[in-house]
Amino acid sequence: MSLYEGIRLISDKQTVVFDIGSAYTKYGYAGESVPRGIIKTEVKCPESGKIRKVFSYEDSQDLYQLLVEFIHLLFFRHVVVSPKDIKVIIVESILTPTEFRDTLAKVFFRHFEIGSLMLAPSHLVAVSTLGVSTALVLDVGYKEATLIPIYEGVPVLKAWQALPLAGHAVHECIKKELKTVLPNDGSDVEKTIEDIKVRTCFVTTIERSLKLQTDEPPIAPPSVKYPGVKTITVPGSVREKAFELLWERDNDNLSVPTMILDAIVKCPVDMRHPLAENILLIGGTTMAKGFLPRLKSELLTLLKSNLYSEKLKISTVKFHKAPSKANYTAWLGGAIFGIADLPLRCLTKENYLMSNRVPDWASLIDNQKSDSLINSM
Amino acid sequence: MAYLFQPDYVRYVCSCGSVKPVSKIYFCRHCLKVRCGYCVCHEVDSHYCSNCMENLPSPEVRLKKNKCSNCFECPCCFQTLSTRAAPAPVRAGGNPSVEDTKSLAKPPPKKVYYLSCSFCRWTSRDAGIPDQFVATGGWPEQENPHLARIVALLEYHKILASRERQQSERKKFHPKRTYMQFEKFAMSSVMVRKRAGLCPLPQSQQSDYPQPAVASEEVEELSPDIFTQPLDITKITTLEQRLKHPDVQAEEINQLRPQHKQFLMKRSQRCRVCEHNVCKPEYSPQSIKFKIQLAAFYHIPEVRIVTCEPLRIGQTSELLLKLCNPTQHQTQIMLFPLSTSITPTTVTAAGTKEVDRENMQLGCESPNLLPSLVRQITVTEDPKPLKLSPQAEIILPESILILPPRDDAAEYDDTGDTHNFQDDPKLVVWRKGNKAVIRLLVKPNEDEQIEEGKEITVGFVMQYGYVNTIATLEHKEPQKLDLKIKLFLSIGKLVGST
Ligand SMILES: [Zn+2]
Ligand SMILES: [Zn+2]
Ligand SMILES: [Zn+2]
Ligand SMILES: [Zn+2]
Repeated sequence: MSLYEGIRLISDKQTVVFDIGSAYTKYGYAGESVPRGIIKTEVKCPESGKIRKVFSYEDSQDLYQLLVEFIHLLFFRHVVVSPKDIKVIIVESILTPTEFRDTLAKVFFRHFEIGSLMLAPSHLVAVSTLGVSTALVLDVGYKEATLIPIYEGVPVLKAWQALPLAGHAVHECIKKELKTVLPNDGSDVEKTIEDIKVRTCFVTTIERSLKLQTDEPPIAPPSVKYPGVKTITVPGSVREKAFELLWERDNDNLSVPTMILDAIVKCPVDMRHPLAENILLIGGTTMAKGFLPRLKSELLTLLKSNLYSEKLKISTVKFHKAPSKANYTAWLGGAIFGIADLPLRCLTKENYLMSNRVPDWASLIDNQKSDSLINSM
Repeated sequence: MAYLFQPDYVRYVCSCGSVKPVSKIYFCRHCLKVRCGYCVCHEVDSHYCSNCMENLPSPEVRLKKNKCSNCFECPCCFQTLSTRAAPAPVRAGGNPSVEDTKSLAKPPPKKVYYLSCSFCRWTSRDAGIPDQFVATGGWPEQENPHLARIVALLEYHKILASRERQQSERKKFHPKRTYMQFEKFAMSSVMVRKRAGLCPLPQSQQSDYPQPAVASEEVEELSPDIFTQPLDITKITTLEQRLKHPDVQAEEINQLRPQHKQFLMKRSQRCRVCEHNVCKPEYSPQSIKFKIQLAAFYHIPEVRIVTCEPLRIGQTSELLLKLCNPTQHQTQIMLFPLSTSITPTTVTAAGTKEVDRENMQLGCESPNLLPSLVRQITVTEDPKPLKLSPQAEIILPESILILPPRDDAAEYDDTGDTHNFQDDPKLVVWRKGNKAVIRLLVKPNEDEQIEEGKEITVGFVMQYGYVNTIATLEHKEPQKLDLKIKLFLSIGKLVGST
């Protein structure tokens, strides 16, 4: 442990950083290089005893109770800290529904009585892990793939992209393929599918992918005997095809690579080259074997195609490597971003209880407004 | 206590709206209100390792990142690893027997240590970790390879932050700046101001600026082996195993490394209204006792269901309840319909008076006397919505039930002392010591469409006499109060209609 880290660890102010993803939650302290842990975003319902995903909420009241249970677990089982009056940073997508953001803030302030809350936009803070100010940030997580370009430290909101092409879609694909062999009892199936995906599936090359659709497909990779109560055989074709839907262009020509190119098209001309040459991939699904080389070849192929060759004069794409694993890069961004003591960006308990609401992103990003808030105090 | 394993047949409604069995609620003796795990403030009291029982002061816990330095968890199945000793291998080349005979004092036989999991048989030897010559400590620590880089980024962000603070100070003097030069980017003025506010402009290159990351065209290609080589799934880690060690997330089993065991904590519970503890454990991790334990179980009469006749729509059934007074004082119990207000009352010479301790306490110490900065803002939470609604009518008695104080000695007394209470024979069917069984009548609602086999709930408000022995400014003497609490009882399944 470095001296620096040691001093910081025992200094009084501890800021807890959460990145509550739709499948996994990353938690830890600001200023640390790695999250203390990554756990599933789910709770055991105290009444029914069933496991419920926090994001499967019915309405905001239901969400409130789910979040109380879940965050209680986070504070007392995992982070192990008394939440009263502490500073919390939430790394979250700008595209998070307002209902979720408002309810989350209410839980933190009203139930756990935290001192202050900072909402860190995930795409923006992910760039903090690079020491650059321009990057095209693509987040492929569980529920959806989202993209926001960051140019000179500013999110270019009008170029945002979001598609439901992420972990969940891959799971559905595997589920469909293995329907006949999978056990059919609730939550365990989802766990098994995730495990099969992580341990056996991969993203194939663009060349093989093209051949897969022809009459003479390449020889499938070896099948895998997956142990369990009942041994399941995962055919090689399932291993190879699980991620294919991320690249398939449906009728609207929408796929993960077109998200990147469409976003670039929406940006002013002088931003385009810097963005294409500063791509940052975050989110667990981008860690799939073969994801990055496939994305690169898909992008280069598309750039040469009729669809984009006229619109975009780009011939190279470059990718960043964050000092982290992609599934916690956004968290790390929050942990780096949050080390800075920026009262302007924090919503204090006093202000929250006075206004009873969370400013939306447009005004959160707006410094002027937070200035006036401070002045009016 | 049977409570631990039983379904919750009898549930009490907490002040916050939660519905819980009596074993899971507290009674704040200061507010005279029921509290529960949902509405109290939880605080971490102390940290300890559940394996070696070491407990450390919290600065040290922070320094150790909340992990025990001596105990490890199995990276495969997450159980605690044990340290095993083995004789040290004989040094190759040398001739130990000759050495041994030469030295008069025989050195103790050397031992080596390795970690082993008694559940899944994982050992540190499997992972290729060299054996250690000391039993504790000395195990190689894996450091995040990106640590130096991240520390540089952290330092840089601190500088950026101080710059942002300065700029916002400056902005106060020039509130009306224009940002016309950014219009060509077609960004909203909101974003432009943001840009002016914080962004690290490339021209402001300084020595403290960490080397910016360089993006690369080169990417790691998918190994062609994947299409031909068979995959041995038993050698591939699960996602759960990977996520236990986020900065490594090893894909192969033999790359897994033992992880330090995380500390657990003891926590105390504090009433959010009056800030008194309702539960505080003893500090020592070995102790399972409490310094303060205001469990409702010791203060509020306990209700148990004895029997309930089969329930049929439109038919009255007999419900027998056993009530028990856990306090040192005699209590009078009355039952009221659910709609009754549950504000506590006290009987004075002038008649019945409502008492609200919560507001009374706040009123005692005039908040105006405190400087506004010192005054704590009270955070309030909306009460939980009550989702339960009774499906049966309950016919409540009008007479009062008196229960004598708890007397542990009387528990073993079989003389059948009934204290000669003038009980209403229609209500009380049995009594002994501080307990009594009462008879009530229930009738499942006719107008509601209740299916056969559905669990029937009834509810009422129980008023009980409580003697408050905590002296306050106004009351030096123990004060007698009548407190009320809502109860819901699951009395059984609907058998059918008449
Ligand atoms: Zn409560
Ligand atoms: Zn230990
Ligand atoms: Zn094990
Ligand atoms: Zn209280």
